[in-house]
Amino acid sequence: MSASPPPAAADDSAAAQDAFVARLARPAPATTSYTEVRFVHLLRRPLVLHGELEYGGAERLGKNVQTPYRESTAIADGAVTVTREGRAPRKFGLERAPELQALLASFSALLGGDALTLHKYYAVKLVENAAKWTLTLTPKDAGLARHLRDIEVDGAGNEPQCFALHEANGDASVMLLGGLAGAKLADPPTPAALDALCRAAP
Amino acid sequence: MKPASRSLLIAAWWVLLGAAALLAQRALVVSSDLRSFMPPAQDADQKLLLDEIGEGPATQLLLVAIGGAPVESLGEMSRGLSAALQRDARFVRVLNGEISPAALDPALLPYRYLLSPTLDHARLDAAFLHDELEQRVQDLAAAGSAPLEELLPRDPTLEVLKLAERWTPAHVPALRAGVWFSPHDEALLLVQTRASGFDPAAQAEAIGALQEKFAALPGGAAARLTISGAGYIGMRVAAATRAEAEWLSALGTLGFVLLLLAAYRSAGVLALAALPLATGALAGIGAIVLAFGSMHGITLAFGFTLLGVAQEYPIRLFSHRRAGADARTSVRGVWPLLRLAIVSACIAYLAFFASGVPGLEQLALFTIAGLLAAGAATRWLLPAVMPPRFNDVAASATLEAARAWLARLPRPRWLPWSVLALALAMLWFAPTPLWQNDLAALTPAPPELLVREGELRSALGAPDVRYLLVLEAADADGVLQLGERIAAPMQGWITEHLVDDVELPSRYLPSLGVQRARQQNLPDRATLAAALADALADLPFDAALFKPFLDDVDKARSLAPLSPQQFMQSPFGARLQAMLVQRSAQWYGLATLSGVREAQQLDLRVQALGGHVRLLDLKASSEALIVQYRARILLALGVALLLLAATVAVAFRNLARAWHVIAPMSLATLLALAVLRMGGVSLSLFHLVALTLAAGLGLHYALFFERRVADAAEARRTLHATLVCVLSAVLVFGLLATSHVPVLRAIGLTVALGVAFHFCLSIQMAPHGDATHAD
Repeated sequence: MSASPPPAAADDSAAAQDAFVARLARPAPATTSYTEVRFVHLLRRPLVLHGELEYGGAERLGKNVQTPYRESTAIADGAVTVTREGRAPRKFGLERAPELQALLASFSALLGGDALTLHKYYAVKLVENAAKWTLTLTPKDAGLARHLRDIEVDGAGNEPQCFALHEANGDASVMLLGGLAGAKLADPPTPAALDALCRAAP
Repeated sequence: MKPASRSLLIAAWWVLLGAAALLAQRALVVSSDLRSFMPPAQDADQKLLLDEIGEGPATQLLLVAIGGAPVESLGEMSRGLSAALQRDARFVRVLNGEISPAALDPALLPYRYLLSPTLDHARLDAAFLHDELEQRVQDLAAAGSAPLEELLPRDPTLEVLKLAERWTPAHVPALRAGVWFSPHDEALLLVQTRASGFDPAAQAEAIGALQEKFAALPGGAAARLTISGAGYIGMRVAAATRAEAEWLSALGTLGFVLLLLAAYRSAGVLALAALPLATGALAGIGAIVLAFGSMHGITLAFGFTLLGVAQEYPIRLFSHRRAGADARTSVRGVWPLLRLAIVSACIAYLAFFASGVPGLEQLALFTIAGLLAAGAATRWLLPAVMPPRFNDVAASATLEAARAWLARLPRPRWLPWSVLALALAMLWFAPTPLWQNDLAALTPAPPELLVREGELRSALGAPDVRYLLVLEAADADGVLQLGERIAAPMQGWITEHLVDDVELPSRYLPSLGVQRARQQNLPDRATLAAALADALADLPFDAALFKPFLDDVDKARSLAPLSPQQFMQSPFGARLQAMLVQRSAQWYGLATLSGVREAQQLDLRVQALGGHVRLLDLKASSEALIVQYRARILLALGVALLLLAATVAVAFRNLARAWHVIAPMSLATLLALAVLRMGGVSLSLFHLVALTLAAGLGLHYALFFERRVADAAEARRTLHATLVCVLSAVLVFGLLATSHVPVLRAIGLTVALGVAFHFCLSIQMAPHGDATHAD
């Protein structure tokens, strides 16, 4: 999966990678606002969602969509509860949603600085470029790879800033975190513009 | 007769028997259908029960677990196995947790608006569509929405998923890799076979096909497949019982051959000894084929057991052969008694005809025809082929010593009475219930299979095999309507934890009325298109995307409601077929229950619904049937004993002599019964049949010991014949008594004990034990 020769700046040595991931760890609980742009081929235009992410420690995450509608997704103890305004909450086991589980694992591992979990699910590639870095996670498991092409995390220093998820069918989701969450986006936003935003120097 | 022509005759007889056996094998249909063996149904429940034994939907379920590989590849195997089984006509449905649009036959897809409850409380108007499509946008906003994207254009309100959810059992295992998994990392499947659960042969075929398909899967050879369920356990138990019976019978036959060789010091008798029994068995089968056409497997087994009496006939002939006398002369010496034994046994078995139970009538016909044919073969055919030179057993000095010893035994008159008192006391103080009503207890499944079955059943939330909710109506649609009417109270039972889930037939197919009402609520194409356009005003979908949706609703408006018959014929309708049955003019809905917690409470609630819904306890009902059946057998046996005594008395024209035959026979039967009971044995049909066989053998002992003989040599021959008979019976059935399978042990122990007691008591109670004292 990571058979391509590393570029000059790539640091593939496991120890360096692990040290890098460990630096990303942040104390729980933590809350950060985000903006998510979701590209779905059935939809005429991408969806732009704003909300907050809550990090409550290992394997506990909350995602609260605030606009354009309100929806909260809470993941705790292996179960997912989705609550939409005016509807009964739906609760299901995390094992029913393998993509979500992989996503949670990657989020949770990044926020917890847990390289071991990250390696369990993904082939990890780190490219550092001055203060900016890009971490590419490619699923190891064939079943997961049928749904998920890769996850790209862009960041600066110890801060992840963009979280881009590319699904196997071409749909994609780009999540802008922290400072970038308030960035002004084109209407409609394009993948290329988002890419540029994520890679730009701080 | 020259030796050569005699051998030719023997060979011809065997060849004839072989040909007859071949014919019989072709003509005889051995049914494993318990119905023909049971008494006729007395009421509707019993009738339904008889029909449902082995056909209940819950007994058709195989519980399957796949383990021993990584989760992802187990998921692949589960999907692969499910796909392979769904293409096979031997399987009705496969559930493995996959929720796929294929939950409904593609040809029936437009029917989803009539089958799903959505339109009971909603209209496909702008507001509803907007609400639904807004949710779809939100669904698409979450990662992993790819499967949804395929459904969306045709089914934006996700009716197919609502149906799939509705058709999934209420309590299902956790999903991993998209399929059901147990907590022990095994992929789980629920497979419904077309074959009934109590048809071991058909189950074995289905299970074989399943194993074959599994082995053909990529990685299937390395992974571990576990199967459980009523059908699987039935098959395993039947195979184990057969294997053990065959092995013990082979051993018994070998012992019997050695015994014959030792007793007659002639290999020639071996070819002859089996002839009468084989002739009798074939005659019995022939009579059944002519009179009934088919024979129940149990009748066949019981019939062969009872026919075992005929094995004595040639032995009597061999042992009573006098030195120098030809076979025809010898046979005339023993024939009057043999004839009396045969005729009285046949008259006694006539009692079974009056029982009114097809299985017992078959048994009687088989036994009577078999005994008559075996007797006739012994009397008229066997002497013609016996070798002219024969050892007279009376020449044995050991035998004379044994006879003299037996003759000198004290025969106090009080002994039989004390034995009677002792037997009655043992019967009175026996520690266990008199009857064993649970037939399954006689062929129990290995505990580890039952443990596994319990684990899988609870992990899969599979329906209980014991209870069945029966809905009764004049037609199939009436059953569906009834199901819809009781859906609300049923939900109450689930909320109160009386039961985990009830699978009503109306869960799969709504009644015609409900379907029409839903159809009434479907808008015409123009209205729907306008509503859709309205709903999409502020949503990021193209209206053109939903053309397949408009087409389907249009089609659904003009469909004739889906009839049960139509639905049952569709690939996904087989599940309904198992739940809707017609018996005479009535239709019955069979709803399976899972996780029955409070059977009594539940029964009260069901009774409160009125007479058209009943909770059927299959175990209790089948036990009640067994009790009825046994009552008839007991009555038949009682009448048989009276007929036997009467026949013997009439033949002897002497009550005292008849008493000397009937008394030891009855006392020995009672003693065998008492010893079994004292040993903690609860009685079943198999014990009764075994006691009857032992009594038939005992009749011979008593008749021959009662006979006045002219000299001690003839007394020695009587003793020799009886000893060979007793030893062979004790040997063959004693071996069976060592079996692990309770049903074989029951037959073996009972016959062996019975024969021993009959022998001892008929010697002890012989009227003139010391009459032959002097030579």
